[in-house]
Amino acid sequence: MKSLLKHLSPFAPDQSGAVSALFDFGGLIVICDAGGCTGNICGFDEPRWFIRRSAVFSAGLRDMDAILGRDDKLVAKLQSAMDGSGLKFSAIIGTPVPAIIATDFKALKRMAEKRTGLPAITVPATGTRHYDRGASDAWLELFKTFATEKLDIDPGTVGVLGASPLDFPALDAGNLLSDAIKKDGWKSVKCYGMGAGLDDVKKASSAAKNIVVSPAGLAAAKHLQKTFGTPYEVRCPWLPEQVLDALPSLAGEKTLVIHQQVAANAVRDEILKHDAASHVDVASWFIMELEFMRANDFHIESEEAFIEAVANGGYDAIVCDSRLRVALPRTQTFNIIDFPHFAVSGRLLDEVK
Amino acid sequence: MNHAYSITAAELAARGRDDIPPELLSSAHLIYSSPATLAFNSPGAQGFGVKRAGLAVPGSVMLLVAPACCGRNTSALGCEAALAERFFYLMQDDTDIVTGRHLARIPEAVKEVCDSCAVRPSAVMICITCVDALLGTDMERVCRKASDYAGVPVVPCYMYALTREGRLPPMVSVRRSVYSLLQPREKVPTSVNILGFFSPLRDDTELYTLLRAAGVRAIREISRCADYEEYQKMAEANFNLVLNQEARHAAADLQKRLGIPSVELARLYQTDKIANQYRLLGQAVGAEFDDAPYREQAEQAIVNFKNTFGHRTFAVGEWLNADPFELSLSLIRNGFAVSEIFGTVGESNFIYVKKIAALSPDTRIYSNLSPSMMFYDGADAQCDTVIGRDAMYYHPALPGVAWNDEHQPFGYAGVAALFDELNKALSGGMGAAR
Repeated sequence: MKSLLKHLSPFAPDQSGAVSALFDFGGLIVICDAGGCTGNICGFDEPRWFIRRSAVFSAGLRDMDAILGRDDKLVAKLQSAMDGSGLKFSAIIGTPVPAIIATDFKALKRMAEKRTGLPAITVPATGTRHYDRGASDAWLELFKTFATEKLDIDPGTVGVLGASPLDFPALDAGNLLSDAIKKDGWKSVKCYGMGAGLDDVKKASSAAKNIVVSPAGLAAAKHLQKTFGTPYEVRCPWLPEQVLDALPSLAGEKTLVIHQQVAANAVRDEILKHDAASHVDVASWFIMELEFMRANDFHIESEEAFIEAVANGGYDAIVCDSRLRVALPRTQTFNIIDFPHFAVSGRLLDEVK
Repeated sequence: MNHAYSITAAELAARGRDDIPPELLSSAHLIYSSPATLAFNSPGAQGFGVKRAGLAVPGSVMLLVAPACCGRNTSALGCEAALAERFFYLMQDDTDIVTGRHLARIPEAVKEVCDSCAVRPSAVMICITCVDALLGTDMERVCRKASDYAGVPVVPCYMYALTREGRLPPMVSVRRSVYSLLQPREKVPTSVNILGFFSPLRDDTELYTLLRAAGVRAIREISRCADYEEYQKMAEANFNLVLNQEARHAAADLQKRLGIPSVELARLYQTDKIANQYRLLGQAVGAEFDDAPYREQAEQAIVNFKNTFGHRTFAVGEWLNADPFELSLSLIRNGFAVSEIFGTVGESNFIYVKKIAALSPDTRIYSNLSPSMMFYDGADAQCDTVIGRDAMYYHPALPGVAWNDEHQPFGYAGVAALFDELNKALSGGMGAAR
């Protein structure tokens, strides 16, 4: 059955992606839920939450709130929490509950802005989509709301779009990405959401270029290109050392790389650097942009489809989060290179043994 | 809002139970999520949320029928080898949510799950969430259909976070679910069930000894049942002992369905109240319990701690195996001070607030869930020792104990164990018992 998971557990959902994208910008984030979604996001999908206090709240919806659609009550609570807090904006993130009762997020945004006198962002996540969709929506909304001024271009500045722990499983991934990009001669790297804050978002138009490091950052990059003419390129400038070290051994093998598409493509490029004749396919459970796919690349639609693709693909090696191992056919053996993907397993690189 | 809201016990008691300030009422504000609140603010989060609790039935598996987001943190639970192979997910998409078409797939999914297990499950627990709460799904009916189709008992577990403060919150409902598979059996007068927790009482709990001394031969807890047959023997109990009020509804259901009456006991830390409770239990079951040696042992543990560490000032949290207000009252009555309590004041524990106010009027009460806790700064706090995982979060530099082990403390043994652990924590420096 397509929608049945018998081996794996669900991946990070869209509301987690939205929170992850907005986590580091000094706003008040309200998850429009009854408590469970917030518990999942904070307790599992946002590793930064464990190391510093953050303004992430649950709306604490109860059945009558959902039945009666008490948006005014939610906004009043939001205002009360914002008052005197020094927080710079509010963000309201959807979950299955508002999806079912068809909450009007545009109205919520207007109400929140009017009541607090500060910008508000809304992301109508539903809990049925993956994290990258929510992150993509949140990034786009963030830049639409705050990057409104056309500034002079600083030729030494580059922006990084799409970085979050869900895609780059290290708390210092922002630094790692920035350091790798600086090696290309950039003086200033603005890794939005992992180092660069709200003031940098407001000055996004001054970047000479944007680098999109995951599919979640692509919509925002296209928006910035359309609005300010900022060009962008899609590439992953950093891969974990332990992954890079293992790739030479895959030369000549038929390899499947499973991760977020941009990182997976970077892994493929690395393998091909060692042996251009190697056969490497890329697959992802998440967004697969057609323009960055090669022949035989594929989107994984379900656990059942994953098992079938791996069983029949004739692969010798798989580069993936090793949590996927539980769903691999037991009758076959594969050379598994562990490339943790937090959105899949909730593992950070430094937790990998 | 730029500081953590708190109120003294005296001020709160003076306002009365009907005038609790909104800052202490979770329904009146956004709910702050901090590591201090995670375990108890989400019915699916850490510890025994609905998902893990539903698997208390030996040999059962769980099928979570929900949007993928509801099953996400189960990955963490699944890390535990014993649970890893017992969770399955039937994920709802947008169309399912709108049309409810997923319900038609459940019987087939249950069968597919059972067929994929190396050992046929004793039961399939279907965990459903806010989505089906709002859709008004008749899951009892769906489960009957699935049971007929797959040939295995199928039971609903309602992880309805939306109803957390309603008549039947998720953790109350799931307790009824896990005992709902018990089938009528002939009563055995020397058999007793302990209801309330999903993990066993500490082995040294005197309740076991006292019951055996009173002639009870079989004391059953669901978490100690080795297999489904052992679990079914719970139906032969002469009476149920309810140690957690969240099991009251399950006990009432067992009385109605199987004719098993129940007696309720509270987890207390005031030794005189524990004694009183055993006396009343003895009267109810027609036995006299000789609890004096255990009481003496517990009180000696308190004396030993006091002799070693003197007058301590505690901060008490609510992420622990106790009612924070009752535990605080116990500490105060034993000659210690309590400067801060992080807890949820409600109908059942306001009585303790009043008693604390009389003995320690300046004790400050905070709500873990208040948005203002984002600004909590313990720099001025008077406490030097902490109890509770949340209190440890607020005072990371202070020695203390989390006191939230899965093996449940109860009675005098619980009191003695708490002070033994405090003793160890303070002897070994901070973090010794963390």
